[in-house]
Amino acid sequence: MPSPASGQTPALIHVAIVEDDPVFRQALAGAIEGTQDLKLAGAAGTRAEGLAMLEGPAADVLLVDLGLPDGSGIDVIHAAVQRWTRCSVMVSTNFGDETHVIRSIEAGASGYLLKDSSPARIVDEIRSLASGGSPISPIIARQVLARFRQTKVSAASQPMASNEAPPLSAREKEVLELITKGFMTNEIAKLMELSPFTVRSFVRRIYTKLKVTSKAEAIYEARNLGLLTN
Amino acid sequence: MKYRPTPFFANAVLVLSLLLLVIVGIFYSGAGSKQSSAASPHLTQADWQVDDAQGFSAPPPVLDSASLPNTWQHSALPLAPPIALLRQASTKTNATLVHTTWLRLSVPALPNHDSPLALYGARIKTDGTIAVYVNGRLVYRAQEQGPLWNGTRTPLWVVLDRPANSAPLSEILIRLEHTQGTRVAVSSLWLGPVETLKVRYHLRQWLQQELPAILSMAFLTIGIFALFVWFRRRHETSYLLFFNLAVTSFLRSLHFYMGVPIANDWFAWLTVNSLLWLVLVVHFFLCQLHGRQLTWFTRALVGVTGMVGVLTLPVLAVLPNTPKVTPLIYPIAALMGASVGWVGGVNAWRRRSNEGVLVAIGVGICTLLGVSDWLLQNNFVSPEGWYFGAYSNAITFGIFGTLMYRRYVNAIAEVERANANLAQRLQQREAELEQSHQQLREIEQRQLLSDERQRLMQDMHDGLGSTLISAIRSVEQGGMRGADVSQLLKDCMDDLKLAIDSMEPVEADLLLLLATLRFRLEPRMESADVALLWEVKELPALDWLDPSSALNILRIVQECIANTLRHTRATRIRVATAMEEAGVQVIIEDNGQGFDVAATLERANGRGLRNQQRRAQAIGGKVTWRSGATGTQFALWLPLRRDC
Repeated sequence: MPSPASGQTPALIHVAIVEDDPVFRQALAGAIEGTQDLKLAGAAGTRAEGLAMLEGPAADVLLVDLGLPDGSGIDVIHAAVQRWTRCSVMVSTNFGDETHVIRSIEAGASGYLLKDSSPARIVDEIRSLASGGSPISPIIARQVLARFRQTKVSAASQPMASNEAPPLSAREKEVLELITKGFMTNEIAKLMELSPFTVRSFVRRIYTKLKVTSKAEAIYEARNLGLLTN
Repeated sequence: MKYRPTPFFANAVLVLSLLLLVIVGIFYSGAGSKQSSAASPHLTQADWQVDDAQGFSAPPPVLDSASLPNTWQHSALPLAPPIALLRQASTKTNATLVHTTWLRLSVPALPNHDSPLALYGARIKTDGTIAVYVNGRLVYRAQEQGPLWNGTRTPLWVVLDRPANSAPLSEILIRLEHTQGTRVAVSSLWLGPVETLKVRYHLRQWLQQELPAILSMAFLTIGIFALFVWFRRRHETSYLLFFNLAVTSFLRSLHFYMGVPIANDWFAWLTVNSLLWLVLVVHFFLCQLHGRQLTWFTRALVGVTGMVGVLTLPVLAVLPNTPKVTPLIYPIAALMGASVGWVGGVNAWRRRSNEGVLVAIGVGICTLLGVSDWLLQNNFVSPEGWYFGAYSNAITFGIFGTLMYRRYVNAIAEVERANANLAQRLQQREAELEQSHQQLREIEQRQLLSDERQRLMQDMHDGLGSTLISAIRSVEQGGMRGADVSQLLKDCMDDLKLAIDSMEPVEADLLLLLATLRFRLEPRMESADVALLWEVKELPALDWLDPSSALNILRIVQECIANTLRHTRATRIRVATAMEEAGVQVIIEDNGQGFDVAATLERANGRGLRNQQRRAQAIGGKVTWRSGATGTQFALWLPLRRDC
């Protein structure tokens, strides 16, 4: 899979990790060590350490585990979005199941990594994410489509929300639909006459919109509940 | 009731309406209340005499009281000589012999007045011409054609125009012609300026004629309304009876204010008989209210009414409907009225019918009013009294109006109650329904949970559990390389991923399920260096696709691909889907070396294929293999619908 970040790019990708499992930390360190373009910039084992790490210099990619011993990785994702604004956050998960991934994306993550991935795949995913692409699975694509359908319905009844929640473009929708049918990034790129990287960057854009949408929904909900006054 | 004004607003409207009525009342009664008895003397003394004459004659325009025989007797007004009723009725009509009753009133000196004077008297009753002379000059004539029906209810009202230089008013002479045997009656008179007497006259005129007429019309209007109600509700005869009552009442009260001459004609017949009919209708009404038939009493009433009706028919003229005979018929009506009131009242009381009692009391009052009329008409009481009979109409109207009102209000309340009841019952039903739904949902939920638990248990037992046990055993026996252990654990992991994917929301979309599987298998395909041709087409939704079926499908397809990767040395796998008549098909082809399907199914190590068959059967589908030297085609057929 050709990736624009691979090869002889001078820019070094700084990777930080928040993970309580030392074995996976080691696996990750091992995978990174085998590359020229990746560098492990920091590692934290707990939520508190992770938040503290965010006070330091920003990395390009932050890998976060959700199940930390002293709290949820979601908090770390939230904080990372605030502190390390240019950093791409990636959640590490055992199964890549819809519940965990969607929650992370709504919190601000741009991608996810299956923990049992091969070292080669791990570095590929990190490179792709650093260059502005995002991975997606059929189930998540279906869920994202459903989210935007819901938003459209609620936006019709509440014009205020529609200003804040951008709808999916036709091409973005097409990408998601092809993914739910089981097509891989390369195949979709061929079908839509795009580069695989463009397809992955479409996914990143969709995730950003989903984040905004969920935020708009949260604000709308909060207003409804009377927690916010305009 | 949808529209409910605020109590304050409602009260304001009520007060305003009442205030308007009071203002109108004050305005009318206050107009010309500047009466002074000095300005308008009350004439209560008169001289009178009765002369005989041959036939009625027109009153001469000028008459000097001195020319009359000097047989004056003094009397105080009102004058109402007693009447011998039986003699009056039996008198043979001798048209030629008439009496003339003369009344002479001397007028006290009146203060000088510029405005015209008026003579007012509550009543003058006679069946001949009435003539009034002032200072010997004829100023007023009435009843030249004989008595009028409303004659006794019309007050005397004469406006005297005073010539500029005439002598002061000194004497009033009244000439009353009447047939033999009948008696006249004259109330006391008032003389005074028109302005001051007008009020008395108008009040009496209004109360004796106009108000009864208005009430009678109102009654008739409501009666017509009731008739239209009855048209729509034929089973409620009380509305028809009410209409009948209104019509009869209207007929009966016509004579109170109609200025038609009294003669033995149909009008007289209707006037006399409608009183009896009225009593009869009220009796039927009462029967409805207390709910008893009273057959014999009813028959007696109908009999009497019918008999009087026939006897007084103008064409038969057995009993003429004239003022001479009717005073003898009316007591029958009074008796009927009293007995109807009494019998109805007693029955209503026994049957606890408040409405019946009310009507009975009304009948009693009306009868009393009738009796008072009769006494007045026949000179038993002072002619200055009032004819209250005209108000029996109002009483009837009031009482039956009350009944209708109560019925109306009760009906509305009933409807409201029924609505409230309905709403309540509906709510109750809804709550019950909701509860039973809740229970059903709970049971369903519990069943689902239990099923799911069982499925997971079974799955862990058969899949992950057994693989792990064999892995542990292999590791313990030490006959296993690290790579093999790793592969075994990876298989476990794959299995676990399948289980998790089977629980993701695929929403009956088989394609999404296959896509998920492909997504999972992709790393392995990549490492095995096998090209995957993904040639799927849209498929209809499979509504039966629950997690358990999804897991079976995932396992079947995964097993197929795993077998291909493991055993066939294929370089290309093609996955396709197709629509069939009653189902869908998932086809997986490879270009590897084939195998003997039948033989493999027989063999002990054909467990994988047999598992696929078993799983397919469990979800109502089937699997087939076609294998040759150039490859194998595997097909999984799934039904569109599963009835379970």
